[in-house]
Amino acid sequence: MNGASRTGLTALALAGIALGAAACNKGGDGGSGDVIKVGVYGPFTGGSSPMGASMRDGVRLAAEEINAKGGVLGKKIQLVERDDQATNERGAQVMQDLVSNEKVAAVLGPINTGVALASYKYPMQAKIPLIINVSAGAPVNELFKDNPDNYVFRIAASDNIQAQMIVNEAVQTRGLKKVALLCDDTNYGQNGCKKMTEALAAKGITPVSVGKFKLKDTDMTPQLQEARAKGAQAVLTYGIGPELAQIANGMNKLGYQVPMIASWTASMSNFIDAAAANGNGVQMPQTFIQDAALRPEAKAFVQNFQKKYSVDRIPSAVSAAQGYDSMHLLAMAMAQAGTTDGPKVKAALENLTTPYSGAIATFTKPYTPTDHEAIHQEQVVMGVVHDGRVAGSLPAPTPGRAVPSLSDTAAPAATAPAAAKKP
Amino acid sequence: MSDLVQLLLSGVALGMIYALLAFGYSVTFSTSRTINFAQGEFLMIGALVGLTVESRFHLPYVAAALGAAVAGIGLGLLLEYGAIRRALRTGSTATWILATVALGIILRNAAERIWGTDDRPFPAPLGDTPLIVGGVRVLPQELLVILVAAVIMALLELFRRRSAYGKAVTAVAADRDAASLMGINVNAVMTLSFIISSVLAAVAGVLVAPLTLVSPTMGTLLGTKAYAVAIIGGLQSGLGGVVGGLLIGLSEQLTARYISTGFKDTPGFVLLILILLVKPSGLFGKRSIRKV
Repeated sequence: MNGASRTGLTALALAGIALGAAACNKGGDGGSGDVIKVGVYGPFTGGSSPMGASMRDGVRLAAEEINAKGGVLGKKIQLVERDDQATNERGAQVMQDLVSNEKVAAVLGPINTGVALASYKYPMQAKIPLIINVSAGAPVNELFKDNPDNYVFRIAASDNIQAQMIVNEAVQTRGLKKVALLCDDTNYGQNGCKKMTEALAAKGITPVSVGKFKLKDTDMTPQLQEARAKGAQAVLTYGIGPELAQIANGMNKLGYQVPMIASWTASMSNFIDAAAANGNGVQMPQTFIQDAALRPEAKAFVQNFQKKYSVDRIPSAVSAAQGYDSMHLLAMAMAQAGTTDGPKVKAALENLTTPYSGAIATFTKPYTPTDHEAIHQEQVVMGVVHDGRVAGSLPAPTPGRAVPSLSDTAAPAATAPAAAKKP
Repeated sequence: MSDLVQLLLSGVALGMIYALLAFGYSVTFSTSRTINFAQGEFLMIGALVGLTVESRFHLPYVAAALGAAVAGIGLGLLLEYGAIRRALRTGSTATWILATVALGIILRNAAERIWGTDDRPFPAPLGDTPLIVGGVRVLPQELLVILVAAVIMALLELFRRRSAYGKAVTAVAADRDAASLMGINVNAVMTLSFIISSVLAAVAGVLVAPLTLVSPTMGTLLGTKAYAVAIIGGLQSGLGGVVGGLLIGLSEQLTARYISTGFKDTPGFVLLILILLVKPSGLFGKRSIRKV
């Protein structure tokens, strides 16, 4: 997309937004008073809680930094935190509460795909931005079709990217042709399963077995037996920490020693701790790896996080970094817009004039009016679990380099992770 | 062939966990005609207390089980005095159902406050290295679960059938007022049965913890499944719980392997409905005649 047409599009979008704002002046009440209210929702209890709590702590850290520098537009950021308990209905409830009662200026979160699906329409209707900072399966750019005025943004590796990388790791890097899929039965797992099947089909491969498991399942013997009986050379999984650990433990029990390549959630503390030695060698796509933080901003983020929360290993470093960056991006957009009015903040997000050097990467124009995904395959690497930590290497930062928009991602994407894999 | 044996073994281990909880349901049902809907949470508290004893105080596994048993005694007393006895006095069924459900929610929330919400591993006392017998790989803990559960249930069943307590239970179950007139301390019998049932659940928690993971929500699903098991086997029968547990455990594993992982829980619950239609008192249950 060339510069002229992008500017034209932005202008068009801005005009549309201005019209929309005039017609419906519901959004952006969060700016009234002497604070700016920002909603944060995620699971702070249950199996997803390492992600939820880390994301929240990352957001808190960013808000503290912003407030220490005088806040945004002369006002302090006030976080309104809600526990969605990783359940879809509860997610819809807390979102309605945030939008209608608390009248927040923007919302950050959630973690779980089902929760995102159940709740995204409320900020969309109220015209306030929602920056999804962990959920990989939630629709974002897909929403443009029915909602040209799309208020949903994301800063996380989408399932499209992850499924593609998991499949690439098995098929291209390792040269395996027979793979088994094993996914949990939530919206997240099943969506991931679908995306992996599609990515495999594009390479002319049909998985030899497709297994399912439920949250809190403790015995994966039947699923793994089936995969082994069909001759699977790798197990590709989509789930969250505790159940992924049961898969790793089950593979050890059955003596089924093939690579396990998982969704990014295998970097969660509850996977690493519960799988212990059985987790060694498990690979997963990561946007942020704590032990491989090289850029000064990333290092500073890790140090500040460790100091503020007195932890050595961040329970879910990916969630923490994405939470942190989402808060900073939002604050920058508000400062640029000069207001907390929803449509104007959205327009500013779509056209951030200054680059943002965050924990994950340096983002130059992370969003455009037609692309609400800040993370592209270039910023994602395969991490590997090793002795209770996540190891891996992030690609060296390239300051000033624009994050490619959707149209030109394909070319560099295929090479970047592969290069990172084989040093 | 070894695949099938492998599957059967893990099915039996799973079934014995259900059976242990179902057995607890039957112990209290036979004296008080109530079901403790917080049984799954009792298991969870047992596991968490056991984990604390083991990791915080660096005591061996047996001490963890003892710690859980002590917690079980406390929970049993709390349940009996706090929820059941008062509810039974009012004579309303809804009261004890709600009281035990409420106790379960309170325990789960309390556990989240005290221990946090994360799923944590529980170190297996016999290690994580699978034993290999003729191509079948089995974790030492799975064998421990099967063995210990079987021994505990056999001993309790013997106690129920042979001891004076067992006779007292039968008497209380048959007619509370008459038993009281015959000099049986009805309250003491009830209290004891609740303590036994709660200790059973708490110790089961420590037993299964190395196989599952430990978290405040670990007991919810197990409690529900065990309830179905107790209904299938017959609420008044200890043996029924074992048979029901094995039926559900094996059907889950076999269905997941040979039909589809998505249908894992279906046969068990179809069986539950069939039993409720054909023999509502359960496979081994005696028909309860209630004189009005």
